[in-house]
Amino acid sequence: MPESTASPFLRAAGLTKRFGGFHALRDVDIEVRERAIHAVIGPNGAGKTTLFNLLSGVMAPDSGEIAFLDRPLGRLRPHRRAALGIARTFQNIRLFGHMTVLENVMLGEHWRIYPSLWRSFVKASLHRPLGEAREETEMRRRALETLEFVGLADRRHVMATDLPYGEQRLLELGRALAMEPRLLLLDEPAAGMNIRETEDLDALICKVRDRGVTVVLVEHDMNLVMGISDRITVLNFGDKIAEGSPSEVQLNPAVIEAYLGEEGTL
Amino acid sequence: MFDEYLRSVLIFAGIHVIAAYSFYVPFKTGQISLGQAGFMGVGAYAAGIVTAKLGLPFPLGLLAGGVAAGLVGVGVGFPALRIRGIYLLLLTLGFAEIVQVIILTWDYTGGAQGFQNIPFLENALVWIYAIVAVLIVFFARLERSSLGRAMDAVHEDEMAAEVMGVDVVRVKLFAFGLGAFIAGLAGALFAHYSTYVDSVTFNILIGVEILMFVLVGGGFSYWGPLFGAMFLSLLPEFLRALRDPMELIPVSWTENAPWNRVYEVVYEFLDFENEKRLIVYGLVLVVMMILRPQGLITRNTMRPFRFVQRRMHDA
Repeated sequence: MPESTASPFLRAAGLTKRFGGFHALRDVDIEVRERAIHAVIGPNGAGKTTLFNLLSGVMAPDSGEIAFLDRPLGRLRPHRRAALGIARTFQNIRLFGHMTVLENVMLGEHWRIYPSLWRSFVKASLHRPLGEAREETEMRRRALETLEFVGLADRRHVMATDLPYGEQRLLELGRALAMEPRLLLLDEPAAGMNIRETEDLDALICKVRDRGVTVVLVEHDMNLVMGISDRITVLNFGDKIAEGSPSEVQLNPAVIEAYLGEEGTL
Repeated sequence: MFDEYLRSVLIFAGIHVIAAYSFYVPFKTGQISLGQAGFMGVGAYAAGIVTAKLGLPFPLGLLAGGVAAGLVGVGVGFPALRIRGIYLLLLTLGFAEIVQVIILTWDYTGGAQGFQNIPFLENALVWIYAIVAVLIVFFARLERSSLGRAMDAVHEDEMAAEVMGVDVVRVKLFAFGLGAFIAGLAGALFAHYSTYVDSVTFNILIGVEILMFVLVGGGFSYWGPLFGAMFLSLLPEFLRALRDPMELIPVSWTENAPWNRVYEVVYEFLDFENEKRLIVYGLVLVVMMILRPQGLITRNTMRPFRFVQRRMHDA
């Protein structure tokens, strides 16, 4: 993995988030290198999803700072972060259930154009009085490419909620990829998938990385995490307890204790 | 072309369709407004001032009615951003109430006496159905555009939409403002057809009726408001027409028969005015919510008849 630049791709410093008296995250620093697959692991309630919520702007941190490409994100709203190139998926799948697979992915391209009355109605009507707008055709073509990439092209006209669980996860991934992000946050992408689906996902995530996308991954499936990650951050009860390569983390006594209790190995 | 009575029925049906579309737009982003009657009131009075008080031509009045209501709509849309469900319903209800009180106390436009002598619009039927046609074309296009898709996404899951790059605040404000603008048009048209409006013209019940048009027709397809408003507006006329075959029954059959009372009640009921109309609406709504809660028309219903055709059928 070539070292990209001196300044990191994504850096969070001193992130703290409390819910009442409960520290979901406490003074967590994290640095993600460009084009890496960076896993965040930890037991349930360790603060992994909270970290994603802070990075994607869905929640604001109580303290701490996030910088993406040397740009402090501050309180930038999620849709602005999306335009900067940050995409995410959700642990509890949040697809647009009443839309088709294709329409879900087309929404991922939303940020590219600034939809307005002028564009959607006046300009489009002048171009093609009875046909659809040119940008719509273009979006559909690109969305179809994305669907082919994740392997859902033949399901494009199915309603999103009618997909089986594993395919819904793939669709979430596809919808996020349609945004052509520079940073992709995957929240438990393998949850609910069977072994074969997980293996396919493994290959898919590597393909995404090879396209030049940096992937941050929250996942419980340790085979998946250890197999594809370049770097792993371990959280426990809101604290960062370890960071390093998969082999370093696997041997770290603090991690083993947090994860498996006193005995056992990863 | 039509006799006077049929003409007025069609005119009111058309105004109902426009009002139903004004509810449909914010609903597309998940915002339910009972205050559309209030926006109609704003539109009616703004348009009336422009034509009756300032003596300007009707098209300017129509525009003023829409723009005034639209601006008020964006104003109401701001607090509406943070509120949803039943609380938003109450907020919009309160707004409609406020409009009524302002109308009642504003002497410039007649106050409690109502706004009189609004110029009569000769071609109301043409105006109204031209606007309905423009709205249908507009919504057909909206459905197949990223703006329309963004609105649907906001309706389904605001957080997911925002993470996908949709500016939720902007989309919701736009929807509320556009809905109010359309309601303003409906109000302006109403004022210039009836030539008189007052504080009770646009009361809360009108807001409920508008909501029903969309619930019955279906709020998830742009054809829904059209069908719902037309159906409920013309229903009384169809029911009244049922009296004709009833009258064919010879009087001697019913006069002393035990079912005479039933006959009379049914006959009476079929010719209903305001209060009875609401009874029928209520019944229709109860039946609808049980049998087809998504409304008569859904997205799939209209798929074979798409207005804006896909360029490539499959892709």
